[in-house]
Amino acid sequence: MNNNFFILAIGLYLLCLLVISSCEEAAIPIEQDNTPVIVDTVSFPVIKTTSYQIPPVLGNAEHLYFGEKDGFKYLYNLIRFDSTDVSNIYSFDHYNDSLIVADSLKLSMRLSLDSIDQNAEFQLRYFPDSGDSVFNETSTNYLNFDRNTASSVIATAVMMVDSIDSVNTKVTLNFMMDTSIINVIKDTSIINFNQSFLVELKTGTSSEFKFHSSEKVTGDPPELIAYFRQFLSDSVVQDTSYHTYLSIQDVSVIEPPVITLLDSSYLSISLAKGLRSLIMVDMEGWELPKKGIISSAELIYISPDSDTLTGYSVTSYPLKIEGDYSQFKSFETDPYIVDVNFNSSSSVIENILKINYRKISTEFGRGKMTNFGFKIQPSNNNDPFKTVLFHDLSSSDSYPVMRVIYVHP
Amino acid sequence: MFILRLIIILLLMIKIVVSQSIFNAYGLGLSRTSYHTSVNGAGSIGLVPTFHPGVSMDNPATWPGLKFTYISGSFSNQSNGIKNSKITNQAAGFNKIQFVVPIRDKFGFGISVKPINNHNSFFSTDTISFNFGGKSLLSNKEFRSGGGIMSGSFSISLPLNKNMGVGISVNKLFGSSRDEQSLVLNSTYYRLFNIRSYSGSTLNLDFAGRLYGDEKVMILAFARVGMTNKPVSGTLYKFDFYEDTNNNYSYDSDDYPANVDVDTISIRNIYAPNSFSFGFNVGFKNNLNLFSEFQLWNDEATNANYASIYNDQIGSKTHIGGGVVRFGDMGARDWQDQITFRSGLYRDKYVLRHTGKTLIENGLSMGIGFKFAATGNQIDFSFRYGSRSMRSSQKELFQEFTIGVSLGDIWFLRRRAKQ
Repeated sequence: MNNNFFILAIGLYLLCLLVISSCEEAAIPIEQDNTPVIVDTVSFPVIKTTSYQIPPVLGNAEHLYFGEKDGFKYLYNLIRFDSTDVSNIYSFDHYNDSLIVADSLKLSMRLSLDSIDQNAEFQLRYFPDSGDSVFNETSTNYLNFDRNTASSVIATAVMMVDSIDSVNTKVTLNFMMDTSIINVIKDTSIINFNQSFLVELKTGTSSEFKFHSSEKVTGDPPELIAYFRQFLSDSVVQDTSYHTYLSIQDVSVIEPPVITLLDSSYLSISLAKGLRSLIMVDMEGWELPKKGIISSAELIYISPDSDTLTGYSVTSYPLKIEGDYSQFKSFETDPYIVDVNFNSSSSVIENILKINYRKISTEFGRGKMTNFGFKIQPSNNNDPFKTVLFHDLSSSDSYPVMRVIYVHP
Repeated sequence: MFILRLIIILLLMIKIVVSQSIFNAYGLGLSRTSYHTSVNGAGSIGLVPTFHPGVSMDNPATWPGLKFTYISGSFSNQSNGIKNSKITNQAAGFNKIQFVVPIRDKFGFGISVKPINNHNSFFSTDTISFNFGGKSLLSNKEFRSGGGIMSGSFSISLPLNKNMGVGISVNKLFGSSRDEQSLVLNSTYYRLFNIRSYSGSTLNLDFAGRLYGDEKVMILAFARVGMTNKPVSGTLYKFDFYEDTNNNYSYDSDDYPANVDVDTISIRNIYAPNSFSFGFNVGFKNNLNLFSEFQLWNDEATNANYASIYNDQIGSKTHIGGGVVRFGDMGARDWQDQITFRSGLYRDKYVLRHTGKTLIENGLSMGIGFKFAATGNQIDFSFRYGSRSMRSSQKELFQEFTIGVSLGDIWFLRRRAKQ
């Protein structure tokens, strides 16, 4: 009896533990007074602004441009192809094999339209004497590239309509090159041949032609096709085959129009005009409290555009050196070095751009870095020919301002 | 039939159990004054007999009065609610795990582990809205804390003479607590974590003595002096705020910033309790006992406010209480007479160190205990109900249900000589 009672008591005890050990965590409402954690706000004035111009670089654009439009002159396009084919197996050295006979090369580009409204004649040059590098798509522009390093014209072409299927068509520009060009490219005495070409209109035109570049998503980038035959024995030869080499770098070299009064009167940014702006926010003396965190440090820019602007993406960086805010200036190279580790990006929404600088502002607030101001420039995914203006300090009520919200113990 | 009644009583008691305290956010929180279920049931601070005639499981000086060696565990479920709201907090955990060995009716020793205080709390503030540069912001705060100081104790009992004994306890204080302070800004949580560790030790000197006794009545006196041997020191790990972008309560690669710094601060003398307590028990022939107790408790720490959501902490406490215990008779024929009944009333007055505000806790306790098996096994239940109130603060109602099981065995006891 006693044993049974003992077992029952222990069982009940364990059952009770199980039943009542659940915890309920409902928050007890308390007053905010005298509790830790504070949300604080502070506004910092923008004290200096300016815009400046550098030669435009369109290396990251989705298209390669020919002709001219709205005062922009598309001078020529530079294209560099991969050293191995799409299968990542065959380099141009492959054609030095005694059993391989390279017959011809074709450089093909696809027009952004599916039909030809107006045709034009294009011409092709290459760079047999330029070693392993001809251009850099992130820095080559109309001021720093010598077009005379290119060869004489090696091929000409006009656009043609090809069928994709029974319904759809595409327009391509195909340059055919003979074995003399292949021989230069495959020459083993030239180490790391550049595989670069210059494509241009044969004569000037007031029209604009846009071709897919290597940056175009779901596009057809420029390609170089090598046609060859392979001997299986002294008397047996396979049918003509080919290897395809894709563009790995391409850039339209353009000359921008003359800067307008509007461009220099506002904070202006444009890829194709090479416009960028500097903003100096006075954060002198401000300290982020210890253990604090910045929720947002938004610098707010307002566009004066009468049309509603939305979706234009802007990238900003903190400067690493003092900026010259005295007047609008033009430079051959961008003199303002930035800290790319603290970049911020945002898009314009209904003419208002809010860029959150909380990461770099935290460094400023903790005294770890010096505030030299910020640079704003268009992101690479925008229409490169769009110029976006923002009010600067001369605007009475729409001037930029930085608003910081932070939380601290 | 007995078992059925027992189950019904048990279920009824479970049903009314409900949750912990807003006042746990003051410093290290409220200190417990009772641990064993039998002590809880009488609303006692552990000086006077509540477990067995002449014995309190929280008073080592009385342990020689035990007839068996005991291993004992007490488990409680606490609920705290705000009087004017439906908000309750509930938490459960062990109050005490204990092993006590009486030796030849004169000596004894024991070890135990028990929580000294409770830091468990969860608060939220009302949402406020404000406008900043045309941007509407909604903000509220949340505070959570948990953990606290534990005590691992070793105690011995020694006789002074035939009617008096003393108990000496060495308590090693240890443990950790953590708190999270959050600010919710437009539904995004900004969290700051603090983790604290504790280490220190205290000494207790207990006294138990029979002042008077005849066939009808017996008067017992008890006293305790609690001293700090080594004030509690601690290490505070204070993390930077981070934005809990994915709101998963923990810092990870999705959160901002990419790295969070932590300050490690060592602080000495953050908790140094001293106390003096005394109590009297009058026992009658029919196993009925009346008792009263009084305690003065003071925290002499010099580095205050080590762990606190509120900028204040409990500085001192005064306890006064009394009650009645009727011990069950194992040899009784009716099962009701075998049950030990306990009930008591008490009043605690806490004084906050910085503001001098007083917190009044009034409590009512009741409990029962059953002995079973030849070795004096005992199962105890207790229920405590009360309120805590402080000027310009919300009145809190608390309830606590505790279950304790004590299993007896024969160690070091004088055995009958073989006939």
